[in-house]
Amino acid sequence: MSDAAAPNVHEDLADLYETAPCGYLSITADGVIAKCNQTLLTWTGRSREDLVGSRFPALLSVGSRIYNETHLAPLLRMQGHVSEVALDILSHGGIKLPMLANAAEKRAEDGRLLFTRFTLLEASDRRRYEHDLIAARDRAVERARMGKAHEAAISSELEDERATASLRDQFIAVLGHDLRNPLAAIESGLHLLRKESLSAQGGRVTELMEGSIRRAARLVDDVMDLARIRLGGGIGIQRSRRMPVEPTLRQVVGEMLAISPGATIVFEAPPALEIEGDPARIGQLLSNLLGNAITHGDPGQPVQVSAGVEGGKFVLTVTNSGEPIPEQTMQHLFQPFFRGASRPSQQGLGLGLHIASEIARAHDGTLTASSAEWRTIFRFAMPL
Amino acid sequence: MSILSRNHVQVSGSGTRAMVFAHGFGCDQNMWRFVAPAFESDFRVIAFDHVGAGRSDLAAFDPDKYANLQGYAGDLVEIGEALDVRQGVFVGHSVSAMIGLLASLKAPEMFDALVMVGPSPRYIDDGAYRGGFSESQIEELLEFLADNHLGWSAAMAPAIMGNADRPELAEELTNSFCRTDPEIARHFARVTFTSDNRDDLGKVAARTLILQCSDDVIAPPEVGAFCHAAMAGSELVTLKATGHCPNLSAPEEVVAAIRAFV
Repeated sequence: MSDAAAPNVHEDLADLYETAPCGYLSITADGVIAKCNQTLLTWTGRSREDLVGSRFPALLSVGSRIYNETHLAPLLRMQGHVSEVALDILSHGGIKLPMLANAAEKRAEDGRLLFTRFTLLEASDRRRYEHDLIAARDRAVERARMGKAHEAAISSELEDERATASLRDQFIAVLGHDLRNPLAAIESGLHLLRKESLSAQGGRVTELMEGSIRRAARLVDDVMDLARIRLGGGIGIQRSRRMPVEPTLRQVVGEMLAISPGATIVFEAPPALEIEGDPARIGQLLSNLLGNAITHGDPGQPVQVSAGVEGGKFVLTVTNSGEPIPEQTMQHLFQPFFRGASRPSQQGLGLGLHIASEIARAHDGTLTASSAEWRTIFRFAMPL
Repeated sequence: MSILSRNHVQVSGSGTRAMVFAHGFGCDQNMWRFVAPAFESDFRVIAFDHVGAGRSDLAAFDPDKYANLQGYAGDLVEIGEALDVRQGVFVGHSVSAMIGLLASLKAPEMFDALVMVGPSPRYIDDGAYRGGFSESQIEELLEFLADNHLGWSAAMAPAIMGNADRPELAEELTNSFCRTDPEIARHFARVTFTSDNRDDLGKVAARTLILQCSDDVIAPPEVGAFCHAAMAGSELVTLKATGHCPNLSAPEEVVAAIRAFV
């Protein structure tokens, strides 16, 4: 080292020890404080006589005292040094002073422990920051835990909801099935009665009863179809071989005219048009669309039924005149139990269009509705 | 995972009679590194880490199972059974003195001698009983434990735990002897410092040696005296050593006392 390179300052090592910007502490093998610096005395507000000769654990807070015995002392003995350990030193007034400590053993040549030396740094701000971090982590853990609990609650509610819905669907299926038998019994009884010679009034009443039975049977069929859709995953169809569709459609139109006095239906379909579908279900689809058109359409105007081929698809349209379907209603048209608010007096379960759309779906087809300017068109399309 | 790897059980020595060493709250079986080798010529020396400490399987830590010292005592019995320990010597430091006592009540044939180093059946004062701490002081300790992580980092944990077959990775890290998941450390601290086994002391049938340090802030002399009085036929030896860990600070004295006893 050259004189020229050395700064012209003479560092006083004794003063450096006493007034260094950190606390120094030397502890004997028996845990007695042998020496400390002025900085530590200043921080703790203690006198040298008070500190030197006293026991090191007494200088520590209770938590630090136990920690010193269970962690710090064993580590020092095993690895000879410890760094970055948090310790709370007690001031003269018993106030906890958060410190960060490094410590190293000083051993004699024969391995005997002479001192353990501690360097202490003030760490109040750092400790506060660490506490903030721990609190933030605890809050995050708690939030995550609550999030999970919330999720579990929602999923359990959903489960309950599903169980209830499933129970309701089963109830509907059983009810529908059980209603069919007494209804069939009433119907056959009525047939027997109609063969008797009845008074004029008897004839009128039994005729009305027949209509009522037909309506009731239809409602039951609809309910059964719904149950099949909900429980069986679809309405279920039995596809026939390719066969002409016109006779089926014509028959349905005739039946609807028979039970809808005053209604007119314009029907057109190519007689030779063949499709591969379930004739009974396609008939049901048309019947539901016609029922809807007659109920909601302008009674003074005819309903048009038209079948044909468009773009390689079988297309069946049912068109009625009358006020257009409101936009809001359009969105829910094919949902079960939906009844348009426009005519509350109309009776029915609100299943007709839902079932029709399910029949379309079962045929890999679509059922769509468009409504504008006094004309509403339902359009069923399926692969040929 | 087998019991032996769960508790990182290490067996050494050439004797037939077993001597089982159990560490207390804080570090791991390394606490016995200056004591256990002295018995290897005469005993089958067994050391282990409590679940949650040292190189035990942290995945086996279950807060419910280890909600009290019985969970740890159950592990000790399992280790003894796995290694066929009968009429052996148990040496337990600090809280493990009580864990060994509970284990000996569960399996009386396992140990016929218990060595308790710095035992305390209850750390918190209770009426006339002086354990050395008030309830609020123990709470203060539990809070303070959160301030020291000693080389523990959640990010590092998988590397440490996943390399049981490559211990050099763990050894490279400083403070590894006392490194514990802070959550587990806090749990073990609560279980330890709120335990009360005063009623169990009188039930012990094995010969018992109490090693009491001269100046121990965790297990003061009056606690050692209480244990001695409660366990009929126990021997009490007061060591010259100070502090709570004579097994590290004065191993020769501890070895001599154990040797004289067995």
